Amino acid sequence: MADARRSGGPRRRYSRRKVCRFCADKSLTIDYKDVRTLRNFLTERGKIVPRRISGSCAEHQRKLTAAIKRGRNIALLPFTASHSLD
Amino acid sequence: MRTYENIFIVHPDVAGDELTAVIDKYRQILTDQGGTVLKVDNWGTRTLAYLVKKQSQGTYVQVIFEAPPSAIAELERRMRIDEAVIKFQTVMLEGGFEAPAEEAVAEEAAAETAEESTEA
Repeated sequence: MADARRSGGPRRRYSRRKVCRFCADKSLTIDYKDVRTLRNFLTERGKIVPRRISGSCAEHQRKLTAAIKRGRNIALLPFTASHSLD
Repeated sequence: MRTYENIFIVHPDVAGDELTAVIDKYRQILTDQGGTVLKVDNWGTRTLAYLVKKQSQGTYVQVIFEAPPSAIAELERRMRIDEAVIKFQTVMLEGGFEAPAEEAVAEEAAAETAEESTEA
């Protein structure tokens, strides 16, 4: 078993080929006012999801980052997980 | 002149006529400073992603306009003073502003820019 792993390369990990959503669908635009789309690229804690997870291409990841930061600035998106309001 | 987009958040207690007065005031400031207001959109009261001036809600107003840089400085100065405005952000629209759909303006279609002015 151990042998097979060493010689046969990495264990098969399920990896669907990730495709950048914005490259796949050219009609999608990145806009800092579009909260619903941008939410998909934030973790529950409000962090920006890295490219290796989201599968975005470099160009779109850059634009996403900029858009998310603008959104945060105008309180459309959180900087962190929602603060307790009580 | 460049095209800009300003979004400002009005205090949730300011509503009705007061709100229209606030919006008109800034529209007036822009025209006085030599700008043209292209679009004003009131998004209504929304929940903020975090507290701003101890408020958890606010009324979003979006203004798209063309103006010289000096007008932006004046607009932002006035907003900073105004108690009714709790937050604002001005962004340059690199692609300019196209009236939603309808006739696509040819010269702007050529722009390779990052900014999108099309409405969500």
